[in-house]
Amino acid sequence: MSAPGIAATDVVAAFDRRRAATAMLAEDADAVAAACRAMAGRFHAGGRLLTFGNGAAAADAAHLAVEFVHPVIVGKRALPAVSLVNDPATLTAALAAGGPGETFAAPLRSLARPGDIALGLSPDGGCANVAHALGVAHARGLLTVALTGGDGGLLAATPDVDHLLVVHTSDRAVVKEVHVTIYHVLWELVHVFLENPESLPGSAA
Amino acid sequence: MSGGLESLYPFLYSSPGDPSAADRVLTEVASSTRAKVAEIDRLRLRVAGEQAEEIAACARAMTAAFAAGGRLFSFGNGGSSTDAQAVAAWFMTPDRSGTGLPAVALTADVAVLTALSNDVSFEVVFARQLAASGRPGDIAFGLSTSGGSANVLAGLAAARRIGMITVGLAGGDGGRMAEPGTVDHLFVMPSSSVHRIQEAQTTVYQVLGELVRDALRAS
Repeated sequence: MSAPGIAATDVVAAFDRRRAATAMLAEDADAVAAACRAMAGRFHAGGRLLTFGNGAAAADAAHLAVEFVHPVIVGKRALPAVSLVNDPATLTAALAAGGPGETFAAPLRSLARPGDIALGLSPDGGCANVAHALGVAHARGLLTVALTGGDGGLLAATPDVDHLLVVHTSDRAVVKEVHVTIYHVLWELVHVFLENPESLPGSAA
Repeated sequence: MSGGLESLYPFLYSSPGDPSAADRVLTEVASSTRAKVAEIDRLRLRVAGEQAEEIAACARAMTAAFAAGGRLFSFGNGGSSTDAQAVAAWFMTPDRSGTGLPAVALTADVAVLTALSNDVSFEVVFARQLAASGRPGDIAFGLSTSGGSANVLAGLAAARRIGMITVGLAGGDGGRMAEPGTVDHLFVMPSSSVHRIQEAQTTVYQVLGELVRDALRAS
């Protein structure tokens, strides 16, 4: 084949495509702060974080969990977090027994306690198994947090999500990049609330 | 009780649910969020401004490698291990023409990782997998926020011995990964924050994927 024509201008254009949705996250800073406070309240009361997502968002779910368990900033306490996507034995068991809709709901039913936090990622809001798992979690009393994009899809349409954080673009690559920033911020700022316990919700939020 | 101590250490005198404390921390945290958003935007602008030529050159080399039947192997530790899996997923997922590219994350196989760590050392977990599976013309894609992860560097060195194309994503000053002769294509995110480095690295590997897929469709 001939040498493919990729130029530096293509790179700059691709990076520029990220800027608008990134900037719009600043406008949602209050919603991010509210999610951090509610999550910190659950951790303070002994709750654990359970994360899940499909495809590249499964990698994000695992990344999110390791942020909490093994902090990159020395001196921050380890917090309990488990990604539901890491174990192919339990994942495929849930798939085989209940179909794709049960991928995350099935392990949640076994693992989740009412004081826990369920955090699902779905870049376009269209992941039915993420929406279903958040519904199961909500019914059990877990705090539910969703990271999504576009118009929020199924996740924007349900009362099962306590904290909905939407990246305002339908470009899935850009949604993912802003999700990485959101969950890094969630981790760091949950600790700000934990270090100021008087700021925490008085009862489980 | 004197008011002095209470004003210095309000948290000793208030209980969870104090609305004024909640408002104060909520405001502080929202402001911190906005600062981090500005920080990642500036970092991406700087990377695009300083490294666009090299990103384009890397995308051209990766396109040629995939076109010739090469496969991608990605690896890293911690959050970078899951990012390595996201790299593989990004290339493997069929695009709108229905085509996926061959990519394997060396961090996903717990049996191999624990076998090598237990029997040899953690430093060889990526190098040994590449020695077994890598071929000349394949792509090794290593991620390290410091540029100093010993097992990532060992993996890249093994890949070079095999004749693979080596791509390294690092942060800070690039660490040992930035030493001459370590990788063919090096991208350093100039930040002291592990988080901002990972966010900018995510953009770099996703843009590489977009450019490669577009070029392969056009060829």
